Amino acid sequence: MTAGDPSRDRLRTEVVREEFADASDAAIVVAIARYRQEALAEAYRRHAGAVFGLARRLLADQTMAEEVVQEVFLRLWNDPGRFDPERGTLRSYLLAQTHGRSVDVLRSEGARRQREEREARQTAEGGYDLELEVWDMAAAAKVREALSELSLQERLAIELAYFGGFTYREVAERLGEPEGTVKSRIRSGLRRLRVELVAAGVTVGGAS
Amino acid sequence: MSPMRRTDELDELLGAFALDAVDDEERRDVERYLATNARARAEVQDHREVATLLAFSGGAAPDGLWDRIVGSLDAIAPAPGPELAKVLPMAPARRRRGRVAAYAGGAVAAAAVVVLGVVAVQRGNELDDLRGEIASTTVQEGFGQAMADPASAKFVLQSPDGSVSAQAAVEPNGIGFLAAGDLAALPDDRTYQLWGISGDTVISLGVLGSRPEVLTFTVAGPLDALAITEEVAGGVPVSEQSPALVGQLT
Repeated sequence: MTAGDPSRDRLRTEVVREEFADASDAAIVVAIARYRQEALAEAYRRHAGAVFGLARRLLADQTMAEEVVQEVFLRLWNDPGRFDPERGTLRSYLLAQTHGRSVDVLRSEGARRQREEREARQTAEGGYDLELEVWDMAAAAKVREALSELSLQERLAIELAYFGGFTYREVAERLGEPEGTVKSRIRSGLRRLRVELVAAGVTVGGAS
Repeated sequence: MSPMRRTDELDELLGAFALDAVDDEERRDVERYLATNARARAEVQDHREVATLLAFSGGAAPDGLWDRIVGSLDAIAPAPGPELAKVLPMAPARRRRGRVAAYAGGAVAAAAVVVLGVVAVQRGNELDDLRGEIASTTVQEGFGQAMADPASAKFVLQSPDGSVSAQAAVEPNGIGFLAAGDLAALPDDRTYQLWGISGDTVISLGVLGSRPEVLTFTVAGPLDALAITEEVAGGVPVSEQSPALVGQLT
């Protein structure tokens, strides 16, 4: 085999994949801190789909979502020390970063209006189902069931805040509810969701 | 924290905070609250883990996106790659060790290549968010314990004129702590970089960021000296700079 030989590259890829395939979040991030691009690739392989899915759902724009994904993984590369494996999974860390960055973009001037225009157009075309898009995972049924245990007002408050990127004040305005009520519903709803998910046997948290 | 915002009001904000659904002022207040309240931190983490499940989408990321990310890595750090954290070969190291090792001076020729197995635990540390603040508290405690441990290897690093200093301690298990809060802040496109010197070998122990405070690093072999240089953001595999600080094992 010669340098640049595709078969050698494939072999190397397989070896690296095996090296990190069973690695914990913490081990992957430590390897990233050692400038191991293969470790970043493994983090990307595991989580990029979820990161992109959340960014796209929030922004409703492929290009902006891709930019957010790029930012999130570059941040992990440049500053892996921010991830603390004792405080949650790498996925929740990456998704929290993704959500925060997407909300920043969304709250920037004009972005939300453009999103609403896109959503209206996509809804009119009948090819964009926000509800169904989220549930593509093994525990989807249990998560859906847990959500159904919430009151409609709790569920709306959480969905508008999380997927809409609205502040609780904006959610209150949209729902015509007092701000304090919405604030409490978001908190109580999240707590109840956790209880329901744990009771249903869904693993919530814990480093992989 | 706003003097008008009571603890129970801050607690009520935790759910919205976890979903990024608070305004900037509230976010700052909650972050300060979390820095001193472990129960509240745990609650926010619980909320975020639940949100993770809501967010999950089983789709794949678009084709070509990974290639763009890799391209950006190269643009940020021209030559780090996996080799940065490894011992440099003896001959190139001697040829290219540059001014870091020269200043450290007195380092005897290595009898053998020392495999340090260095882990740069923290790079580019911008302690500007909650995680950083919490982590720094733990690292501060670790630094104090390492300095108090008689079995730790201690280093006092000083600038050439003696006006700036830093302290480091490496515990017998290879965990090192560096307190470098006296270093002047650098522009965002510059970084401090920590180097370990063992015999004739100089190795990067990690990029410290532009405003280092207390940091950790890990080594798996003995060190004769430590040095800190100022480099371009992202760090370099081999430094040609004079060290800003250097210190031998005490």
